[in-house]
Amino acid sequence: MSENSNTFKIHFLPNDTIVDINDGSTVLDAAHKANIYINSICGGDGICGKCKVILSSGTVDAPPTKLLSDDEAGKDYILACEASVTSDLQILIPKETRLEGKKILLDQNEQHFMTWKAILNKAEFKNDALVKKICLKLEPPTMDDNVADHERLYQAIMMKQGIELNVMQTGYSILKKLPVVLRQNDWTVTVTLGHRGRIIEIIDIQPGDTSNTNYGIAIDVGTTTVVASLLELETSKVVDSEAVYNTQMKYGEDYIQRIMYAIQNDALNEMQRSIVTDINTLISTLVKRNSINLDDITAIVCAGNTAMHHFLLGLDPERIRKEPYIPTANFIPPIRAIQLGIDINSRGLLYALPSVAAYVGADITSGAAAIRLDREEMPTLLIDIGTNGEVVLGNKEWMVCCSASAGPAFEGSGIKHGMRAAKGAIEIIHITKEFEVSCSTIGNVPPRGICGSGLLDCIAEMLRSGIIDRSGNFQKGIETDKLRKNGDEYEFVLVQKEDTGIDSEIVISQADISNLIRSKGAIYAAVALLIESMGLSISDVHCVYLAGGFGNYLNVRNAITIGMLPDMPASRIKFVGNTSLTGAKMALISEDAFETVQNIASQMTYFDLMGNQKYMEEFMSANFLPHTNLDQFPSVQEELSSLNKPLTGK
Amino acid sequence: MEIANVVDKWSGNVKEVTIGATKDEGGTRGKTVTIGGANCIPFMDFDGSPGHKPAIAMDVYDTPPEEWPEPLLKHYADVIDNPANWAKKCAEFGADLICLKLDGIHPDKGNRSADETVSTVKSILEAVDIPLIIWGCENDERDNEIMPKVSEAAKGEKCLLGGATQENYKTITAVSLADGHNLITQAPVDINIGKQINILVTDLGFPTDRIVMFQTTGALGYGIEYCYSIHERGRMAALSGDHQMATPVICDVGHEAWRAKEAKASDSEAPQWGSFADRGIMWEAITATTLMQSGVDIIRMNHPEAVSIVKKHIENLT
Repeated sequence: MSENSNTFKIHFLPNDTIVDINDGSTVLDAAHKANIYINSICGGDGICGKCKVILSSGTVDAPPTKLLSDDEAGKDYILACEASVTSDLQILIPKETRLEGKKILLDQNEQHFMTWKAILNKAEFKNDALVKKICLKLEPPTMDDNVADHERLYQAIMMKQGIELNVMQTGYSILKKLPVVLRQNDWTVTVTLGHRGRIIEIIDIQPGDTSNTNYGIAIDVGTTTVVASLLELETSKVVDSEAVYNTQMKYGEDYIQRIMYAIQNDALNEMQRSIVTDINTLISTLVKRNSINLDDITAIVCAGNTAMHHFLLGLDPERIRKEPYIPTANFIPPIRAIQLGIDINSRGLLYALPSVAAYVGADITSGAAAIRLDREEMPTLLIDIGTNGEVVLGNKEWMVCCSASAGPAFEGSGIKHGMRAAKGAIEIIHITKEFEVSCSTIGNVPPRGICGSGLLDCIAEMLRSGIIDRSGNFQKGIETDKLRKNGDEYEFVLVQKEDTGIDSEIVISQADISNLIRSKGAIYAAVALLIESMGLSISDVHCVYLAGGFGNYLNVRNAITIGMLPDMPASRIKFVGNTSLTGAKMALISEDAFETVQNIASQMTYFDLMGNQKYMEEFMSANFLPHTNLDQFPSVQEELSSLNKPLTGK
Repeated sequence: MEIANVVDKWSGNVKEVTIGATKDEGGTRGKTVTIGGANCIPFMDFDGSPGHKPAIAMDVYDTPPEEWPEPLLKHYADVIDNPANWAKKCAEFGADLICLKLDGIHPDKGNRSADETVSTVKSILEAVDIPLIIWGCENDERDNEIMPKVSEAAKGEKCLLGGATQENYKTITAVSLADGHNLITQAPVDINIGKQINILVTDLGFPTDRIVMFQTTGALGYGIEYCYSIHERGRMAALSGDHQMATPVICDVGHEAWRAKEAKASDSEAPQWGSFADRGIMWEAITATTLMQSGVDIIRMNHPEAVSIVKKHIENLT
């Protein structure tokens, strides 16, 4: 072959990714370039025979090998690392060669891959939306039946819904338009009924049957990210979801800083507008994308931490940060969304789910309801890793909770190339002993950053491959140019510039690693403290639900390897994604779920970790990989010592 | 009626570490020093075996110390430029070990070469037959350059080399392992980091029975209480069965005590503080005897009189 710059197109299936590569390169090189994971234990030395792929079309130059059976050879199997590209190719990556962890994870995280309907069914809440639209066909009045319009409507509602007359309530503006609306479509009307405590309010009345156009919004009001889902309330169907970064970030990374900003600059109104604008942006995106009328959105359920609820509602947050840490309100009555400046139906209701304490908010009570912690027989843990890292331990009889101040590292914030779990975020990372990195991204597009699950993989894999030691320090002696000095700080290049979807490499820096280790240390310390404070040990914990906006997959084993989760069989750990949002969605479509959240909130006992000396000690010893007390992580100790290359000489 | 003694039984014990090798053992030392071995709180021999007595290491510097006050300097004025003779003098003063501190290899303190340093080490090994501690200058780059050469030159002598820190431990661990030396693991008065650095070096295959911990020392009036409680917690952990903490401990009393204002202020500067000639000695002796209670196994010291006070104190307690 002459020296030329011939390039070939390699089309990988089932990923459906096409990559250009110079001739002479191997199929494995092409896969690396395309950021497609191909199993390769030996790292391309033609020894392990793990990188089997199927050549569907095109030609390659491959030496004979005993690593493929006759049967495989007959089916056009080739070894990706041995096959030099000599034409355009179509390569099918068989199941066994794809990312191994992914397959395992699918099983481990069954819960997360359940459909919304399945999750909803499993939770067994009664289907009864907080705000309902009901179509009524009223009997027109006659001389014999001369009941007034309003009472006629009540009777019809009572007949259809079994609602007692004495719990119903009607607004003045509804009364004003009632006679006209009732007669507009020949006594067929749609009433919008909303729960307000024990009262059922007639929120709106429309002529004709519009009962199939009733929508609600569930919002996870996070400190770092705000996520909203649009649901069709009649059918409980999730229509669409959208997320944005909380623009309050400009007032401070964490909410304590924001509270201080609000107080010092008398900026509470400004900050309320900021979060309301974020929510309006989300709603308007969802509404436009799905061609829905804003007036048809009749309810919002919010689940955020206590401080975010204060900001959203414009309640004074000052005492949240000062001893003895008193919120203005944990249980907030339903209010009209418009009162906060949120644009939905002008009479639509906003339900803020209840908090437990200053540092355990509605995101947690909502999450506990979503996983039905209130029905567990055995002690069960819920760990929600958001900006704070809250932990709940309990079962159907008792619940205790605490907040770990873990910081937003696993939400991608404060990490050089961190990002939230969105399209282009690296969610799985694998690093070989030769420091070759392969990763996969959400949406299978060139990477733009790393989300929580990717960051977690990154730490675990760098530890396994010896790029960092147990302190998280880079091992400067390793033979790779991916580890480099940038200014005063070392960083490891995960993805080269030409392979990313941004105009730079994707790296992880020493500061990022320290940040992530502190974050996981804070979480583990909180878990350890709660378990100990109940006089239990890790083996008494039946099941761990790990929640948070990590990504679609979460490698539970890696979370144990880095010491974020206690060392226990991975089968007892379930990754459940954003439970704050899940709980909010459930509450929106089920009054039963809404009540459950209220009950959970009034049941939980809060442990304060601030100034807790024992917590500080636990935290300090958790700032190591996996932990300073190795005997708490026997399986990790075993795993890592089998990987260590002891020094035998200089 | 006879009342039985209540015995506090501990489940763990501090590992024994032997520094120095005799001719039979492949070195040239006249004697070796073994430390550690305790399975009870220091000096509480009615509870168990307190193990080996604390050993005294006396400091020798490869470059003359700049700020030694007169009451200390006068004992070494004639040998300050000659580490071999200095070591001899220390041996005469009753040192169990010599601690050669390589401050002179630091870029700011002379930037001495590997060759010079190796010949210093060799000259001390010839001049005295007690075991040797060799401690770098705490500049990572220079330590990583010089310590491998020094380690090789002293191969077989089973020295105690220092110090491995969380930021820089690979080179010194590797050479200590290869050349059969013991190793000092160093932490900044932090029980967790102390344990972590031990895990890091054992991860590299370094045996735990060749590790001596250094938690950084604070002299009397300069943080001794932090240092004391860290030593105490470490020792309790070791006795409770924590293997990673079950290594003997070294402390640096001489250097810390003699940089205290109380040791350095002359009579005219601090007439109300008592005699300048005695103050530093007292400061050093009290720092040493206090830390001994917390469980230390090697005490680095400077002044011959302080050494003799401390040695007498050890005898009285054991």
